[in-house]
Amino acid sequence: MSDLLQYILNGLARGSIYSLIALGLVVIYRGTGHLNFAQGEMALFATFFTWWLNDKGIPLAIAVLISALLAFGAGGLIEWGLMRPAAKKSPFAPVIIAIGLFQALNSLSGMLYKGAGAGLAFGSLFPNKPDDFIKFPGGAVWRYERIGVLVTVLLISGALFVLFSKTRVGLGMRMVANNPDSARLSGVSIGTILMVSWGIAASIGAIGGALVAGINGNVNLGMMFSVFLLGSAAATLGGLDSTLGALVGGLLLGVIESLVTNYPKDWPGHTYIGADTAVAVAFVIILVVLLVRPAGLFGSSRVERV
Amino acid sequence: MPRVIKDASPLHWLLRTLAVALILFTVVYVATTAAPSTLSKVTEACALAIVAVGLNLLLGYNGQISIGHSAFAGFAAFTAGYTVNFWGWNAYWSLIVAMVLCFILGLALGLPALRLKGPYLALVTLAVAFVWPTIALKFLDQKVGKSTLSGTKLTPPSWTGIDNNREGRALYLYWVSLVLLLVSYIVVRNLRKSRIGRSLVAVRDNETAAAVMGVNLRMTKTITFGISAAIAGVSGWLTAGRLSTMDENSFTILNSIKYLLALFLGGAATLLGPIVGAFAYYFVDDFLKVNTPKWDWLPGPLGEPGVASFLLGAIVIAFVFIAPYGLVGFIKQQARKVAIVAPRPLRRAPAPAAEVTEQVPAPVAES
Repeated sequence: MSDLLQYILNGLARGSIYSLIALGLVVIYRGTGHLNFAQGEMALFATFFTWWLNDKGIPLAIAVLISALLAFGAGGLIEWGLMRPAAKKSPFAPVIIAIGLFQALNSLSGMLYKGAGAGLAFGSLFPNKPDDFIKFPGGAVWRYERIGVLVTVLLISGALFVLFSKTRVGLGMRMVANNPDSARLSGVSIGTILMVSWGIAASIGAIGGALVAGINGNVNLGMMFSVFLLGSAAATLGGLDSTLGALVGGLLLGVIESLVTNYPKDWPGHTYIGADTAVAVAFVIILVVLLVRPAGLFGSSRVERV
Repeated sequence: MPRVIKDASPLHWLLRTLAVALILFTVVYVATTAAPSTLSKVTEACALAIVAVGLNLLLGYNGQISIGHSAFAGFAAFTAGYTVNFWGWNAYWSLIVAMVLCFILGLALGLPALRLKGPYLALVTLAVAFVWPTIALKFLDQKVGKSTLSGTKLTPPSWTGIDNNREGRALYLYWVSLVLLLVSYIVVRNLRKSRIGRSLVAVRDNETAAAVMGVNLRMTKTITFGISAAIAGVSGWLTAGRLSTMDENSFTILNSIKYLLALFLGGAATLLGPIVGAFAYYFVDDFLKVNTPKWDWLPGPLGEPGVASFLLGAIVIAFVFIAPYGLVGFIKQQARKVAIVAPRPLRRAPAPAAEVTEQVPAPVAES
């Protein structure tokens, strides 16, 4: 029983990182209807920058903040300079730009930071000594770092919720997501809203990247691949236009992955369910959910007129 | 003023014949003069082009995105490698079986695609590409017992008169890949020019309207997925013939991204686009890898493929702005300034046919 609790706690920590990536995807998807395939690599680039700042002697927490702020600007610039003009060119253009960014940002990180391929040592934002944990009766252990990651993600989700529902910018974002044309007619500056959306997504990525690197203990070029894939799966599971969906989807996926990975060796079906097939099992579950609810658990489906 | 050339007029036929003759000449010239390593590169580019041709049918004409085609290619390659090496099958027989299996798997993936749209479909197919290496690893572990699976070792049959040595095998694979590319192209071209092709485009442009016009959405979408997967399977089989060994990393998401980039670079929803794009992508990539620029002023690990890969990404982004409809779209746009091909008058045209040819049609890209 305590094993089960332990697996769930581990899964929640991993899942909260998927949630962060999913949140970044959702913020952009709501505004533009595009999938940002470069979300993971944008986060990676920001994380390398954080590492560089930290290496120059700036405390990690402040480095992450600076990085997140700069990422906000860079995200807005990407929207204004690349995505917006490209979207006018052809319907496929945003996908191609995102894939091109994915490739360019990853290799640029490799070019700028020596030893990026093998990994550069990265500290944790949270207390990470061997005895920094809460012990549950029964033996399950909840490390401060895992608690910290989960709390950070919950705080970011909460902040996004407040932003969407209580602020003027958030109202604009909801209007653009709902109907861009009537938003424009009501005087909402769609360009600004989209730039802010991209900026927020990039900032979330910068924080997420630092969390991943903190858990891994280093930052390396291949770090975000699987995190992005599972994060995007989490966004699909929760519904691409729902922030709550991204949060729940990510946590759920993390727990499922952790439980499947630790599937007991003496239970039926253990040949096919186990550590090496955790991802496959998780995707089968998502596929089944999507067959029943094509727009994800919390997503809204749209009615089209002809 | 651009010159108007009537479709199927003698001049049009002359131009077409010249184009085909030029391609044939290049193909034969390369076959007779190029080194085996170059032939092998052309084979690899052909494998890329074949998947892109199949993907074009699905994405360009039917509007369904798939990032999972690397999984189909991988499945076909593993099927071929396993049946040839472990069951002693004939390699050509394994091509047919791999194609049929890929077609069925494509239908299976096409079924959820009926309910999913746009980004959701992209992510589900992305998941398929992501899951394939774990399945391949499990398969290698349980059935093969080694960390790699041998290729099909295609050797030239005696009737071709090609020697069975390294040079001969490269030359034989070169011809096989070109024939397979030609066949895939003809299949997609004929589908596109037929009633089926028109229903594919109708579904892409507006599903509801297409259904109202009498197009069977389920059949059209799933079968397109199946055909496209089967063509990806052909490419996988070709790769199994080229590689001496394969492992779980031979067909990853990066391959799927390569297929998509090749298609977009050449021009989606044009018949020649995927082929032009695949060759352009492959040889630009190859050129950049061989001639990696030395940027000594950068602090990172230089001389590694990093710079080449960065430049490729930058080129792809720049291309969206220079040629949003791909190379073929760009060439068509430029050629239209010199000459315009006027379509043939409709056979049952209500208006006098002669007037139709005088009009100047200017669609942005063939669709």
